[in-house]
Amino acid sequence: MAENQTNDGTVAMTSWQLNGQEVENPTGMTIMEAAKEHGIEIPCFCYHPGLSIAGNCRICMVESNRSRKPVISCSEKIADGLEIETESELAVSSRNSVMEFQLINHPLDCPVCDKAGECTLQDHSYEHGPDRSRFVEDKNIRHTKELGPNISIWGNRCIVCTRCIRFCDEISGTSELCIVERGDRSVVDVFPEIPIDNQLAGNTVDICPVGALISHDFKYEARVWNMDRKDSVCGGCSRGCNVEVETLDGFVKRLMPRENLEVNDWWMCDEGRYGWRHLYADDRLSQATRDGTALADDSATAALEQLLSESGPVAFLIDPFLTCEEMHLVQGLAASRPGSSVGGWLPEDGIAANFPSGFKISAAKYPNRAGAEHIFGDQVFGNDATELQKALVSSDFNTVVAFCGGHLSSGPGESWAKALSSTPTSIIFSVKSGPWLEGASLVLPATAPIEKDGTWINEDGRLQRTRSCWNPGTEPFSVELVRLQTLQNALGIRGRSLSAAGIFRELAANNDSFAGHNHSDLGSPGLLLSERPAGIAMDGGSE
Amino acid sequence: MANTISFCSETMKQYEWLLTRYPTRRAALLPTLRLAESDFGELGVPEMRYVADLMEIPPAFVFGVVTFYTHYRRAGTGKFHIQVCSTLSCALRGSEDVVSRITERLGIKPGETTPCGHFTLSKVECLGSCDTAPMLQCNDDYHEDLSLEDVDQLIEQLRAEAEGGQNG
Repeated sequence: MAENQTNDGTVAMTSWQLNGQEVENPTGMTIMEAAKEHGIEIPCFCYHPGLSIAGNCRICMVESNRSRKPVISCSEKIADGLEIETESELAVSSRNSVMEFQLINHPLDCPVCDKAGECTLQDHSYEHGPDRSRFVEDKNIRHTKELGPNISIWGNRCIVCTRCIRFCDEISGTSELCIVERGDRSVVDVFPEIPIDNQLAGNTVDICPVGALISHDFKYEARVWNMDRKDSVCGGCSRGCNVEVETLDGFVKRLMPRENLEVNDWWMCDEGRYGWRHLYADDRLSQATRDGTALADDSATAALEQLLSESGPVAFLIDPFLTCEEMHLVQGLAASRPGSSVGGWLPEDGIAANFPSGFKISAAKYPNRAGAEHIFGDQVFGNDATELQKALVSSDFNTVVAFCGGHLSSGPGESWAKALSSTPTSIIFSVKSGPWLEGASLVLPATAPIEKDGTWINEDGRLQRTRSCWNPGTEPFSVELVRLQTLQNALGIRGRSLSAAGIFRELAANNDSFAGHNHSDLGSPGLLLSERPAGIAMDGGSE
Repeated sequence: MANTISFCSETMKQYEWLLTRYPTRRAALLPTLRLAESDFGELGVPEMRYVADLMEIPPAFVFGVVTFYTHYRRAGTGKFHIQVCSTLSCALRGSEDVVSRITERLGIKPGETTPCGHFTLSKVECLGSCDTAPMLQCNDDYHEDLSLEDVDQLIEQLRAEAEGGQNG
């Protein structure tokens, strides 16, 4: 039973005073959490909602009627009759002094620090710190070195909050990090010759409140305030971790996890985090080709239209990276060509990992398998796929349209490549070049997961909204969502092109599994497909 | 890297006895490091790794503890670790002169070790022997009421001991 559950199942409440106001919060909350519910944000460095309470930075001190000295609000719990002042003279001067201490040895290297702009120390210094230092002695020098293949420490910037150490102890369970030395010489380090090299290591850089831990991947790459941010979902595995894709001038610079307590908490794995590099790899396709000759983007759509308008029944080979919206369009095409058939390929499994915190990396690397099964039936990757492959190998179909996405996957296997090349007319949407393009009639560049706009269903059946890293109109080629609609318009099976939200509305209206859902109600944690948003709005979202 | 070192049977017995004295294994880390130090002579990377593996504690944690305390003998410390007290009483009674005399005789500054590896010189805070200032600690022994002649004599004696030990 939770600490604040009473016998009759209700939540016990505690009445206390916050800055002179009588307030109530569930019993057992800390002052910091409770104050946040009333709109008062108490500053913190070492506190992180996903980690244990360390209480070592002292910036969150507030004045209490129960103590002669100020108390730290991250660990002190609310209690009946407690009176807390966050803006009293004592509270303000305490914060001020802590800031002055924190800044004693901190270098003023914000202009060259990658954390600048998203640095807690900067923010709190601006808000709570003194505007000058009384410290006239020499600042301490601490080590700057690589801690692992992807992470370095700039020791001078470290404020010894121990967030990264608690992360490695509690979340990844690998315990590579420690504080060495003591007092003002203390700094984060690893045991000699045991680098920090776990699958979640990148998160330590995110939670570092200052620029002490720096990711090699992002070092000197961009100033954070210049980047565009999109709320996306990682397509690396079937978990569907919520991520923020940050771009500079249209190029992806960094992926950061986005809080979703239902899926990934505050974390993501390094494979997904650094996987964006594959978007710019040499084998990435951005150019359409017809029988090996480069085609302009418009002509590619026209060629697609011509090939399909002349075709009889079409075989569609889908991948589990397509969004529900793209799948809905494929289904529309299949329905318009009588005798057509749909099957799907699945990428090879990876290695699953379970961490002490409950964070999981799924062995299954298919972000929207569930979506495909709801749209095309649960045999789309099973029997239907086996049948389709047989039919293709024996050249039962004249035309095949195949989707070969997933920038992290090794693509459809050899048997599919053989099946595709046995078909006279093969149209292949591919994210990168590979053996499956052998002898293709028309190759169209395809989007990688974080370039897609739409929805995915993760392995728990959670419907999640993912947004493209590109700003509308800056895509380097027609994305599938647009190209498939243009094609449908030309073939006369659609009247006008819609946004992803519009396509989703169509899907929800036509498929019972999705009924009642719409983009705008998905919010940031997403929704289980089985839980309908409150107040079913059939007209859907307006995004 | 496989560990090639291990406690001798006597030390292992002491270690097992230690475990019975503490509520958790981790709590016995400080005295176990003391055992390791006396058994192996110093605490370097292989020694810390051995203790971590033995106690099933993350090596990084052991590293953090060893570097936190100044009283452990870290790897690279000379055979004789001379720690000169430089807090108030000793400072008033001339600990600076003691340090400079040692520096002069051994050619090393505080924090350094002689190339022969016999001596390490450190300046430390109060060793709790103010009534006999100035004083220094060499390994586990106190040398008190020091005059500069006492310092010279001590160094000669230690040097003879170190070289004698080497030859023997």
